[in-house]
Parts: sequence; structure tokens; C-alpha cells
Amino acid sequence: MVRLHPLHRLDPLQLLLTAMLVSLGLMAVFSASQSDLKRQLISLGVGLAAFAAAAALDYRLLRRAALPTYAVCLLLLLAVHLVGHSALGARRWLSIAGFPLEPSEISKLVILVVLANHFARAQGREKRIPTLLGALALAAPPAVLILLQPDLGTAMVFAALCVGLLFLGGASRLQLAGLAALGAAAVPIVPHLLHGYQRRRLEIFLNPASDPLGAGYNLIQARIAVGSGGVLGHGWLHGPQSQLGFVPERATDFIFAVYAEQFGLLGCLVLLMLFALLLVRLAWAASVAPDRFGFLIATGVAVMLFFQVAENVGMNIGLTPIAGIPLPLVSYGGSALVTNLTALGLVQSVMLRRRLLVYRPEQVLERYLLNESGTVRLGPEMEAPLTT
Amino acid sequence: MIEPGRWVELAGIEPRPRWTPRLLFFTALILIGVTVLSWRLFELQVIQGSAFNRLALINRIHRLPIEAERGVIYDRHGLQLAFNDPAWSLQVTSVGLPDDRGSRAAEYQQLARLSGRTAADIRLAVTANPDPYRPLTIKAGLTQQEAETIQERLPQLPGVRLDQVPVRRYADPEIYSHVLGYTGKIDGEAYKQLRGLGYLPDESIGRAGVEAGLEDLLRGRNGWEEVETDANGVVKHVLAMQPPVAGQSVYLSLDAALQKEAYGRLQEGLAKANSKAGAIVAADPRDGEVLALVSYPGYDDNAFAAGITQAAYDKLLADPGKPLYDRAIAGLYPPGSTFKMITGTAGLEEGKITPSTLLGCPSHLSFGAWTYWNWARYDFGLMNVLKAIPTSCDTFFYQVADRLGPDALASYARAFGYGAVPGIEIPGAQAGVAPNPDYKQSICATPGTPECSWNEGDTVTMGIGQSYVLATPLIQAMYAATMGNAGTLLRPTIVHKVTDGAGTVLMSAQPGVVRQVPISPANLEVLRQGMNQCLNGPWGTAAIARVLGFKWDGGCKTGTAQFGGTGVDLPSHAWFVDFGPYNTPTFASATLLENGGFGEYTAEPVAVNVLDYYFDHRGQINLDG
Repeated sequence: MVRLHPLHRLDPLQLLLTAMLVSLGLMAVFSASQSDLKRQLISLGVGLAAFAAAAALDYRLLRRAALPTYAVCLLLLLAVHLVGHSALGARRWLSIAGFPLEPSEISKLVILVVLANHFARAQGREKRIPTLLGALALAAPPAVLILLQPDLGTAMVFAALCVGLLFLGGASRLQLAGLAALGAAAVPIVPHLLHGYQRRRLEIFLNPASDPLGAGYNLIQARIAVGSGGVLGHGWLHGPQSQLGFVPERATDFIFAVYAEQFGLLGCLVLLMLFALLLVRLAWAASVAPDRFGFLIATGVAVMLFFQVAENVGMNIGLTPIAGIPLPLVSYGGSALVTNLTALGLVQSVMLRRRLLVYRPEQVLERYLLNESGTVRLGPEMEAPLTT
Repeated sequence: MIEPGRWVELAGIEPRPRWTPRLLFFTALILIGVTVLSWRLFELQVIQGSAFNRLALINRIHRLPIEAERGVIYDRHGLQLAFNDPAWSLQVTSVGLPDDRGSRAAEYQQLARLSGRTAADIRLAVTANPDPYRPLTIKAGLTQQEAETIQERLPQLPGVRLDQVPVRRYADPEIYSHVLGYTGKIDGEAYKQLRGLGYLPDESIGRAGVEAGLEDLLRGRNGWEEVETDANGVVKHVLAMQPPVAGQSVYLSLDAALQKEAYGRLQEGLAKANSKAGAIVAADPRDGEVLALVSYPGYDDNAFAAGITQAAYDKLLADPGKPLYDRAIAGLYPPGSTFKMITGTAGLEEGKITPSTLLGCPSHLSFGAWTYWNWARYDFGLMNVLKAIPTSCDTFFYQVADRLGPDALASYARAFGYGAVPGIEIPGAQAGVAPNPDYKQSICATPGTPECSWNEGDTVTMGIGQSYVLATPLIQAMYAATMGNAGTLLRPTIVHKVTDGAGTVLMSAQPGVVRQVPISPANLEVLRQGMNQCLNGPWGTAAIARVLGFKWDGGCKTGTAQFGGTGVDLPSHAWFVDFGPYNTPTFASATLLENGGFGEYTAEPVAVNVLDYYFDHRGQINLDG
């Protein structure tokens, strides 16, 4: 028996794209807030460890762990309400050994696994109503707890994830249309559900000039930063809008504006290209996943990242309303970085366990299923010349 | 040959990916999303790029004014009376304040504690500041200890800073307070009007005295600097600058030492007379330059320069001595017997008497139903005007006034400066009153009734400076100067010269003649003789000056001006007016002790002491060797 080196099946392109995005992120965080870089590097270390662990772990084991993890996650979200720290009018943080932990970030990952498991178990029953209702019932409790924090952004990610998995998991068109109709009907009551500042954000999005020095300030300043970047940008560490503090929340929600001011349109296109390649690569990972659960994990991660990128970049350039969603892999924020890297690690875990066609000297292609320990069974007739 | 248990690289060929239609749709969505974002970025960064660049410039480039240093005020010899001391001031930049309302209110509370102003007041000032990037001074002239306390708290006070800003200081505050006045922050209402003149909302402006009167000279011209600031208004770079031009140096005509002497002597004299307030005005009868201008009590003008607290200000207002009231130029008092030279002038010029006309000086005279008394309760016998002035015979002047009537008397009073605001550079000077029957009607509580119509008693008492006659010490001093300088009424001036920063003289005082008083040299000489006799004659009311050791020669007149009603045994203000030396006067003054009793007993010793000081130092004071 010959054991196949597991790193062989690691997706190097995904790793490279992730590394490039994280590097650009570190540069942007450094230019936005030099004091934050150290913490971000620590988070990156944790995130890489989590990435490696998630990749090494057989993702199929998660199916068994899904519900217990879900329960722990709900408890953490409840704990935030009881003993959490507040900042900017929202209660989002728990203190774990001195490090701030944002359970809502981690819950994204948990709900991703739980929903993927749910849809995988429902294989063959995708178009049934109970499948849909079950998915909604799983997503609702954490979503409500997060909305109450209030953290509209993460709740929106939940919704996107839910819709994305329903769509890619094979829900019927009728169900999707019904869900869309329900969503459209909810639009008029949304302003009443929003907190004061969230409503302001919506109004400001619709008309930024209504309060240029107050609530519209962030939006306007971010847009000025992006626009003044021009084609080539002001250069790294040289964007006056961000360096002089006009761009608000510049290491987190508005890091894209900081980046855009310094690197210009060219830099932005590079960044968006990297994100697009990574997302397409994730979709490809889904397409080669060995099982339904793996497929749903990969697509779920892709949906989650795509929604966050689109919403964050969109709000930086005034295409979408402001919602506190960081730019994945780029924004400062330990919980988000660790969560996103773990998610990518999970996709790697799926990749590591994909079926490979092994090349034989006889030019015959044959399917081999890799077992859980990463070994491959080769017949005695194939022991002859393999490339080393 | 591959041995079992060894790691080998297997060349793998990827399985055929299964692209479901929905996965393809999702992939397409990713590409569409990125394309939309890219297009929007192109729009912002390329199409509108230069417009946003301009907005970014407006964001961070600000033109901040630089306040010009205020001109220094000197006495006539170049002694600094008002100057600028570097001191720490507490400043707030609005954009640097916390954004949320709660923390901002808390910061206002902190600032209120640190500055002694109310939080509401500070909030009002900050919101009224039209430029949120300009640091606004909340409190100037902090003590070292205050500055240190604030310095420690600065990290918890975003948008607040300490800056070295010159603060106005005054030498010997009480003594020059009414002359110099003080500066203060412009208040909200006044700023609306001053804004057009280039004033800054927290700029100091002269509020009283010379500081107010010569504001245009002292103020200078503000400069500006173009700076790059961060979002909190903290200056990062200075890009361009127009330096301010300091205000001009003003040399007052005051002699600091004489002023100090006058203030001290007045204080001493007031204590002896058991009086609380008084004034001394001394001027040069040749050019109208004011040499001393004392109003007692004074106040601490330094307390104003740094921004006076409401409590301290209320205390000043409640002080029964009314220290803020400039008696020297604004205090209106009946002149009493010091008015008699005017009555004499009118009588002589109108032909009602001649220098040799003899009139009786009985202890009392009756006009209509009323009896009017002389100050002495015995008959002095017949006398001419030359004797009536030194003896200050009231009954003599009753008769002269009765012959003249109120209108003729008033016109001579006006000729000597009564009833017109003297053109001194200090705001607030009062005109005094040269009354006539219309005037009595106008101030009477029940116009048209008999008690409001002018009667003979009003006329005769007007002849001795009672009735409705009112004058300020400044008017009295200029009147005394007119008697000294052969009948020229001069415009009083407090400015000796004005120079720029380099010392170039921009302006020097020119004697301003208001008018030549219509009096013949011969008649004037008679009255001057009378004033001289007042000092030297056997009956002179001021003869006590010789007992006090006064060696110089000149002319003078005492006055004991009753106030507070009609009748006998009323309280009286003590007056003394004088000029000297007799032939070529270089000094004239008026001294008033409010409720001071008899002029010759209370005002005269004060005036004589000041005269003595003047004559001992006259070469130096007059700057002519």
C-alpha cells in the first residue's frame, strides 16, 4: 500500500489567493491604524492554526458535531446578552482570557455547518416544504439573538447564507419565489424594526447630504477617500483622508476606502480580482466535492464571503446601505479573520478528501476513493514506475 | 519500485467538475457583482476623481486666523501701562469634540469646572463658532497651576488644547483703571455687527476706557495661516501664512507718576473727609493734553482682561462706591461756587456789571417769596466782582444772575464747555447741563404745572452754580484751563502720540481748539485776578493753601455744591478748580470729593498737594525741560 501525501491534494491556488488578500489586508490595517497591526498579526497566527486544523480535520466528522456546536453557539450568544461588553451602542463582545470574542462571527460558521448538514441529510427531499421550514427554524434563533444585540450586518449574512444554501441546495423555484415575495413584503415594515441609528443609516444611504456633518459624515468621507484615490492612488501610507482621520472606522468597516485611497482604481481592481478568483475557486471546490455535505460547505463559504465582500465594498462606495460588515480577510478584527480562515480551511478539508484520478503508466484513468486517513489503495499491478 | 510505507508523490488528474446550473448561476453572479463594483469604482475614481480630490482638499486644508497682538499703552514718558503677557489659554476645536451627544455634554461639564464658565455658556460659544476647525478660546490667562491641572486632563478631553496666547495686563490696576478701561470677549449680539470688520468671535475687544476709545489703533490687523489638519482639527502642517500686524503703540498724555500721586492724595483726602468717592482731572491749558484723570474708587482691570467671572462682576456692580463708574468724565455734579467765573464773565460781557460795579453782599436776599442766603451769615458790605470771586459772595452773584436771566447765563456756560460732551478719546463722557426754562420742563415730573416752570429762584441760584447746572470734573478742568490760557476752550485729549511697532511716530497730539470764549482780555484778566486773590487775598476762600505751605502762584476757586434738594444744611460736594503758574499756566485741574463737605477744607488740601507735586516735577511732566 502506498500512502498519498495529503498536501498533494491541498488547493494551492486557494491558499495563494487567501495569502495575497490577507497580505493586502495587513498593509491596509497598518496604514489605517499601526497600533492595531500587532493584534491582527496575533489573530492571523490563531487564524492560520485554525485554518490548518480545519483542513486536517475530516469535515465529515462535523456532521456529528453540528448540533452540539449549535447548542454551544446559542449559549454564547445568550451570554453576550447577559455579560457582554458594549461598544458603539451594541453588545457584541465576550471577554475570553482577556481577548475579545465576538460570538456572532463564530456563529456564522456554526450556522453554515448546521445548515449544510441539514440540507445534506435532506438529500432527495430538497424540494419538500419541511426541509425549508427546518432550515428556517435552525437559522432563526441565532439570527434573532444577533439582531437583538443589535448586529444587523451579521443577521444579514445569516439571511444571505440561508437563501444561498436553499438555492444551491436545490430548493424548488416556487419556494424561492415565495421566500422572495415574503422578503419584499417585509420591506415596508423594516424601518419600524430598525434601531434609531440603523434607520438613520438607511435614510443617509438614500440621501447622504441630509446630514453631512452628522450621520452622513461617514458615508461622504469614505466616498471622498475612494474617489480621491484616482487611478493610481496616493501610495501606501499616503492617503490624506485616511491618514488624517477623516475616514471613520478606518481599520474595520471602511478599510476598503483606506485601501482605495492609497492604491487607486488599479489596486481596487486587483483586490476585487483576487476576491473573484477566490470565490470562483470556492465554487470550483464545490463542484469537485466528494459528497453533498462537502458541496454545501464549499458553496456556503462562497456565499458567505461573497455577500460580505459585496456589501462591504458596496457600502464603501455608496452602492449599499451601511451595515457593520467587515471586509473578509482584510478588515481589522480577530474574530472575523479567524472565522473566515477557518471557513476556508474547511473548504480545504473538503478538497483534501476529493477524488483524484491517478495517472498510470498504462495511460488508463481509474477512480480511487481516498479513505479517511488519506491513503489510497493501489493494486499490486500498479507498483511499477510512478513519478516521484 | 515503491516501498510500502514511504511517502510518494502521485500525479493526480482532477476529476471532472460537476457544474450544476445553479452553481454556474452563482458563479455568474459573482462575476456580475465584481463587474458592478468595478464599474462604480471607475465612476468614482476616474470620472469623478478630481472632484473628490478637491473635496478631500477642502476637508483638510483650512485657513485659520492669527490674532494680531494688541498695541501697548504707555504714559507720556514711555512707561508701560497696558501690555501683553504670554499666558496659557484653554481652547476648544469643535470638530475634535466627541460625536455623540452624551460624551459631548460630559465634556462641556468638565470644561465648565476647569474654566469657571457655565457649561451652557461654553456650548453656546462653541456652536456659535462659524469655523469648526478653528480653536476657540474658552478661557484666557490661566495661572500656571490651572494650566497644569488642565494639562493632566487633556488626554480625556478630545478637541481641547492649551495654547500660549498673550493676555492683556495692566500696571497698577486701580489707579489707571478708568483711563485704560479693559478688554473683554465680544458677546454674541455684538459679534453680529463686528463680524464685518474682521473680528473673530472670541477676539478681545476694548470694552471701556482708552481700550474702547482707541480700539481701531490698538487692535492691529489679524493674519492667517493655511494649515493641513486632521479630522479632529489638529494642525499637521502649515502651508502658507500671512503674519498679523500688531496694533499701534499709544502714548497717553498721562503722567504716570502724577496720576499715582493724584490717586493717592485723593484717597487720603477722601478718608479725612469721610467721603467715599471723588475725581481729579488735570490738563495742560496750552494744548488740552490730560495729565491726570483719576476717578476714585478704581477697580482691578486685570480681573477683566482674563475674563471676569459673573460673581466678581456682580460684586463690582453691587459695590456702593460704584467703582465701575468713571466719575472724572461721566459724573455729573452741580459745580457750586466754581461756576461764579462764568456768571462774572456773563455779567461783564453782557454789560450788567463792570469791573468797578459795586453790589452788596448781605447775608441773605429775597427774590419773590423766597429768601436766599450767603454762605456767611453776616454782611460783607459792598464789593466789586474782583472781591466777590475770592470771597465767593453768593448774594453778589444772585444779583448778577438776576440781571442776566437764565438764557444769557446758559449761553456763557455753554461757551465754557458746559452742555457739550468733551471730545476726549474715552467713551462715556457726559455733557453736563447749562439749563434754561425748557430744560426744567423737560426733566420735570409733571410738565406744564407751576412747579415745573422756571422761577426767579432758579435763575439766581444758577448764578452760584446750583439750580439745574451740572458739570463733570473733566468739563470743570477744561473750564479752569480756559481761565488759565486767556479764554481758549480746548478739546481735551488723552493721547500724546501714536507710533507703530518700529517706533515711527504716526500721529502726535495737536491742540484742538473748541472755541475762543467771547470774553475781552480785560474782563478775563479781572476774573483771573479774582482767582488769584482767592489764593492770595486776605479774604480768599483758598488762603488756607498758603498755610498748607503752597509756594507757587496761580488762580483757583473753591466750591461747595449742595445737592439733594433745596434749602439750608444740605449735604455738599467739595470742589476745587485751579490753574498755574499765574502768568503762563501749564497746569489746570479740577478736584471733586463726592459728598465731601466744604471745598476749601476737603478738596483744596488734595488739590494743593497735587499742585505741589506738579510744580516740583513740572519740567519733567511737561516734557519741555
